[in-house]
Amino acid sequence: MNKTVVSPLFAGAALLAVLALGGCEDVSTELKAPTYKTGIAQTETRISAFKAAFPQQHASYMKNDEDKVMTEYKGSVPYHKNDDVNPLPKGFKHAQPYLKNLWLGYPFMYEYNETRGHTHAVEDFVNIDRLNRFGADGKGKMPATCWNCKTPKMMTWVAQYGDAFWSKDVNEFRGKESIDARDETIGCANCHDPATMELRLYSEPLKDWLKRSGQDWNKLSRNEKRTLVCAQCHVEYYFTHQDNGPKLRPVFPWDNGKNPEDIYQYYKGHGAKGPDGKPGPFVDWVHAASKVGMIKMQHPDYETFQDGPHGAAGVSCADCHMQYVREDGKKISSHWMTSPMKDPEMRACRQCHADKTAEYLRSRVLYTQEKAYKQLIKAEELSVKAHEAVRLANAYDGPRPENYEALMTEAREMVRKGQLFWDYVSAENSMGFHNPVKTMNTLAVSLECSNRAVALATEATQFTIAPVMAKDIKEVVPPILEMSRKLQQDADFLQKNPWTKILPVLPKADQVWDGQNRLKSDAARP
Amino acid sequence: MGIPRHGPWLKWLAGGVVAGMALLGVLAYAMTTTDSRPFCSTCHIMEEAAVTQKMGTHARLACNECHAPHNLLVKLPFKAQEGLRDFWGNITGKDVPHPVSLHTRDVVNANCKACHAQTNVNVASMDAKPYCVDCHRNVAHMRMRPISTRTVAYE
Repeated sequence: MNKTVVSPLFAGAALLAVLALGGCEDVSTELKAPTYKTGIAQTETRISAFKAAFPQQHASYMKNDEDKVMTEYKGSVPYHKNDDVNPLPKGFKHAQPYLKNLWLGYPFMYEYNETRGHTHAVEDFVNIDRLNRFGADGKGKMPATCWNCKTPKMMTWVAQYGDAFWSKDVNEFRGKESIDARDETIGCANCHDPATMELRLYSEPLKDWLKRSGQDWNKLSRNEKRTLVCAQCHVEYYFTHQDNGPKLRPVFPWDNGKNPEDIYQYYKGHGAKGPDGKPGPFVDWVHAASKVGMIKMQHPDYETFQDGPHGAAGVSCADCHMQYVREDGKKISSHWMTSPMKDPEMRACRQCHADKTAEYLRSRVLYTQEKAYKQLIKAEELSVKAHEAVRLANAYDGPRPENYEALMTEAREMVRKGQLFWDYVSAENSMGFHNPVKTMNTLAVSLECSNRAVALATEATQFTIAPVMAKDIKEVVPPILEMSRKLQQDADFLQKNPWTKILPVLPKADQVWDGQNRLKSDAARP
Repeated sequence: MGIPRHGPWLKWLAGGVVAGMALLGVLAYAMTTTDSRPFCSTCHIMEEAAVTQKMGTHARLACNECHAPHNLLVKLPFKAQEGLRDFWGNITGKDVPHPVSLHTRDVVNANCKACHAQTNVNVASMDAKPYCVDCHRNVAHMRMRPISTRTVAYE
């Protein structure tokens, strides 16, 4: 018999066998995710150690290397997020031109880029100008806490050093002898128990939060875990002030709630303790132009999302960012965590929105993002104006009104609050989509606060700065396009912008670190 | 000359009737079994559909109460055709089509009306939306629920 006869016969026989053997067993509605006995050591941190047992997930994860595709507002090209002048890969049409001004005096003014896949996390970390690479002592001038969301080696280091780890210098762990940039970047062990591959937390600050809020990881649903593994890192955080606990240990500021107003209220405390023994307001840095004690927001993706239309309905991060894909007939979770907008078919969305076309879904995402981006730019412009108003009012030496100090205290508070609010939106990575109404509301409050700051500072100067405040802010304070640790060593360069003039000139120094390589010999170490 | 009472033709007739009834019984049983959730979900690819159906209000109905025409003359060729297509899709590693074909949607919608005609007799409920599930969305396998409540890996 030839093949054309055998195949249908075989198929028929198989069908009958299936009918006879399996055809009477009903499904169970208790869904059980597969678990394994891998034999991989509990302390394993290398991605390559998981490749043999999980080739499909590994291959899917390696797709995170892609860093060429942009969407309308996001994507994977690490362009400078303030640069709307240069073409890709340096700048992008939907950049935020005032970021360097707004972060004046803080490391974010040196470099802040669009994100790329997890596979690049350590690589991008050791190349960012925010960490000092010019110190003759080789120090980064930032705490080792900065490693917290970059590598599963955190488990090794925390076990080794305990709470002493956080306040060590970040560059102590930078060299190739400390970490393999490719193999020990964010990987399997950050979300999986290597022995069983069950979802697990590696994150100290998230475990702290679960403890503080009376939750037990082992009692949480699989659905909640599919969000919380991301919430280990895609959250706003701060470093503990030494007056209040282990120095520079990371904390998620969620005790009042996860909305911008809750977080703003939280940061009225948790700073350095005053003479009365009570913690004062927390301050990330003092803005170099306005001298206001500022709060920096960092990627509050989880906080934004959890009470949005999807989050409140119980949809998890993984539902959209790790959709099930069928490869070689096997259904696995995609481990390519990237913009769902890259897929022309929008398949992740259509697991639920099966009745919608990809074009329609895309247009609904853009409907939100376009509005959020436009208002975000306006909120940032007004925030710059608020800093400038306070800066001018600080320097005002004319006849002051009686309530000058009260007006200025309130104006500074409004600058701080206005910026916290727009930064909550700006630092979040969905350009509004994760929570459209909260995004627009947050920007509205930001505009209100910055506007109030301008009005108060204007009043404090007997309205003498009103003519300046009436001008287009881009004429008064032009956006700072270029700024780096190297450029700050150049006194002439700093003269080119009214706000960079304010910055101190850094001492001339050569670069000491290039990625993981120390350029100067060890002999140069003090 | 009368008809012989014990002629061989009678044995053949009686045997044929019994055999025919037995065959019909087997076929009827096979048709019913292959309409049902336990049969449909023997292919892992159908587990999400089976699980969400079992959790829903239509749990006690067979899959083909919705997914095949009720008219037997139409149903027989329909099942044969769909069965072969699914069989082929399964052995070549294809995923469940998303969204389902227009043909299947029409069949399912006709079956909504077949059971729920009385509820809708005084309203023009088929005028505004082409399908009943355009409003009764979660009847379509609870697709607005979080993924983890519907499915797991390796199905």
